[in-house]
Amino acid sequence: MKSISKLFLFVMVIFMVGGCATSGPKFTEFAPSISNMAPDTGRIYIYRPSAAGAAVRPDVKLNGEVIGEAISYGFFYVDRKPGNYEIMTSTEVDRKLSLTLDEGQTRYVRLNISIGFFVGHVYPELVENEEGKKEIEDCRYIGQKK
Amino acid sequence: MKKSVYFLIGCLLGILLNACAFDLVHIKQIPTQIESTNLSKPSFELEKEVNVDPGQGYRRKLKQGTKWNYVGTVSYGDVFRSKDQILTVEASNIHEAYIVVSSGKLVGFYLPVERSYSPLGDPPILYMKEIN
Repeated sequence: MKSISKLFLFVMVIFMVGGCATSGPKFTEFAPSISNMAPDTGRIYIYRPSAAGAAVRPDVKLNGEVIGEAISYGFFYVDRKPGNYEIMTSTEVDRKLSLTLDEGQTRYVRLNISIGFFVGHVYPELVENEEGKKEIEDCRYIGQKK
Repeated sequence: MKKSVYFLIGCLLGILLNACAFDLVHIKQIPTQIESTNLSKPSFELEKEVNVDPGQGYRRKLKQGTKWNYVGTVSYGDVFRSKDQILTVEASNIHEAYIVVSSGKLVGFYLPVERSYSPLGDPPILYMKEIN
């Protein structure tokens, strides 16, 4: 009986960990294929550089439009016209980040996790470009959600 | 007896956790209009680091040596932004922010997306050096 329980636990762990694996090329491999942004746009990189709370992977919205998913060790980017933007993730609660985007500007938004009541809260944070460039290197390209 | 103690603890925990609403902390925001006048104010460099306690939300630091450029004026003071550091104000949500300066003090933040002003209860002095 004990061995069946152990086997069940093992299978469950494998299943859970397997479900959290992030596929896709690493940023360093993918970067050369990233096209330059159009002249009248700016770029926002969104990444999640941690495995904490990996099972919690909410959609990422930009001004209400779903643009991607908050996957551990994943990243994606969007090019947008200059203006004001709001990035939002929703778990038990909505977490929002408001930011401006200038023409030709690149911004890095890190997805962090904090403790929640039933599940962790994923929240977006604007970080310095130097910090973002360094942290995103360990992430894999997961693409935008369309 | 034991059961009633557990029940009591359960009730207390329920009350306590219920009080932990996640959206409780909001920074104070006053809707405001920014005006860009023809007369630009001089840019400045911060000679000393400034620690900012917004009262509600997380503390912020304005780094020494950062350059701040005038972007406009609100009724509470002049608005400056910097390309040398990212500045946000943070409570339950995070907002990009510019600084609002009046009489040499940091009186609050201007939130460009929300078009609002967030005042500081205890405005710190800014040690500024004018630059061209």
